[in-house]
Amino acid sequence: MTSRHWQRNIFILSFILPTLILYALFMVYPIIQALYYSLFDWSGSSENKDFIGLKNFVDLMHDPIMWQAIGNDYFLVAGKMIGIMVLATFFAVSLTRFRLKFALFFRSIFFIPNIISVVVIGVLWAFIYNPQIGFLNSILSLITGTEVKTAWLGFPFHTIWMLLPPSIWAGIGFYMILLIAAIQGIPESYYEASSLEGAGQWHQFTHITLPLIWEQIKVSVLNIMMTTLNGSFVIVMIMTNGGPDNSTQVMGSYLYQMAFQQYHFGYGAAIGVIILIMSLITTIALQRIMRQETVEMN
Amino acid sequence: MGNIMGIRNPIIRIFFYLVLAVWSITVLYPLLWTLLDALKDNKQFYANPPWALPDLPLLWSNFSYVWETYNFGKYFTNSLIITLGSTLLGLVLSATTAYVLARYPFKGSNALFLLYISSMMVPFSLALIPLFFLMNKLNLINTSIGLILVYATTLIAFGVFVLVGFFKTLPKELEEAAAMDGASYFGTFFRVMLPLSQPGLVTVAIVNILNIWNEYFVGLVLINDPDHYTLPIGIAVMQAEMQYRTEWGPLFAGLFISIVPVLIMYIFFQRQIASGITAGAVK
Repeated sequence: MTSRHWQRNIFILSFILPTLILYALFMVYPIIQALYYSLFDWSGSSENKDFIGLKNFVDLMHDPIMWQAIGNDYFLVAGKMIGIMVLATFFAVSLTRFRLKFALFFRSIFFIPNIISVVVIGVLWAFIYNPQIGFLNSILSLITGTEVKTAWLGFPFHTIWMLLPPSIWAGIGFYMILLIAAIQGIPESYYEASSLEGAGQWHQFTHITLPLIWEQIKVSVLNIMMTTLNGSFVIVMIMTNGGPDNSTQVMGSYLYQMAFQQYHFGYGAAIGVIILIMSLITTIALQRIMRQETVEMN
Repeated sequence: MGNIMGIRNPIIRIFFYLVLAVWSITVLYPLLWTLLDALKDNKQFYANPPWALPDLPLLWSNFSYVWETYNFGKYFTNSLIITLGSTLLGLVLSATTAYVLARYPFKGSNALFLLYISSMMVPFSLALIPLFFLMNKLNLINTSIGLILVYATTLIAFGVFVLVGFFKTLPKELEEAAAMDGASYFGTFFRVMLPLSQPGLVTVAIVNILNIWNEYFVGLVLINDPDHYTLPIGIAVMQAEMQYRTEWGPLFAGLFISIVPVLIMYIFFQRQIASGITAGAVK
């Protein structure tokens, strides 16, 4: 062994180890522990930790709130996928292919909601929906000429719908940027050739743009699914706290309430495991559905 | 041949401009009204429609009120320390690892890369329950250090992913030249490679700063002492208190305080943010 060789090994170790240690301690270990905790009935103090096997999962299967939460999660996933992808694609194409003025300006503006905390977005939209002093009722009052005092977040039947506009509004910019980059990567000659053959904008969109950005659309759809299943509970907790009557509960907010408000930590961990399983199954399912021949640029 | 592209029909052009303008308003209007509503008193909230301009004199005192009485000054400082601390630590951790993975591959380095990347697929809420008890055991609940360590760990995946790609593009000749000049491995990294990868480091740092400044859930679980709240937690707590004491003006002042720093960053670093998005999208 040369000394240069030793120097190299010491260098590699000292660059790899600190990260690995922190990662193992604060990421890998807690994830594995969560799987373990899900097998216990546990209120948080170490004396009351009973091993109950899969009972938490059996109980969850009979828990109507969990099914409500799963339904809401997928409602938000579907609503956001449709809303965000349609609008983000529309904006991305408008701001690149159509040669409109101020494209850069619009692009900068549209991304702004993505840099704002979901907490702030939730508070802002809760204010828009506020029955007494909110924008929505004020505008409706102005249009209809009668005083509208609807409590938009107050009805179990439709409140989950009210969470879609802020979620879509907040998400579009990110995916728009992604698609703009993809569209800008398409060689101009493709469009020129089709123009000479008399193809219009719509034909170019369906025959050139869409097939060539399909890969980024796939990535976007998967990303929307992941971020929604793993993160939509923040806007839920700020705007409705899962209510009224659990009608807007999602799995993440239910996990938080069960574990950190009602001290059923084993049950909460089991909810976390279900979220993980949902993410994995949905990822595989989406990849199968979207496994269309990707057109390669050459 | 720009003239054969684009939309030429003027009516359709106007239609597109109209849609883009309407969407711009839905983005800018709430921001503008956050500031204007921060300058109103309660009477104006209840007597006037929400789009009414604030009465004169403007109530700038809402800002000092929320800064002091609602402790937003403290939350702001906490957010600043935690955001900068975890971004810096996260950058050091991911840059060192990414450098080795990109330029000194060893047996198992691929597996290590996959390990880091795979955590992007795991819902972090799953890890939070054990993390809470772990931090409790380590006496790191309600500490800035605790939050910095956890946040920095969550930043590793994105940083490693982007920076491995970046370090791979640097020419090999530079390393060889540095070695000829007698530089050690450490010297090569710090004096040659790190300065060269500055654009990549800035991109990762900006994206991470935005994420941590806005983070709510991890903070909510690991912090329950008001002295250690970050801005998002402070806002959520203040909003919950609105049921008992409605102070809309100060609430909007608080929202504005939390938006302004990221807005300023965005104005200066738009390009880096956009390249962070395109680099971070898993291919």
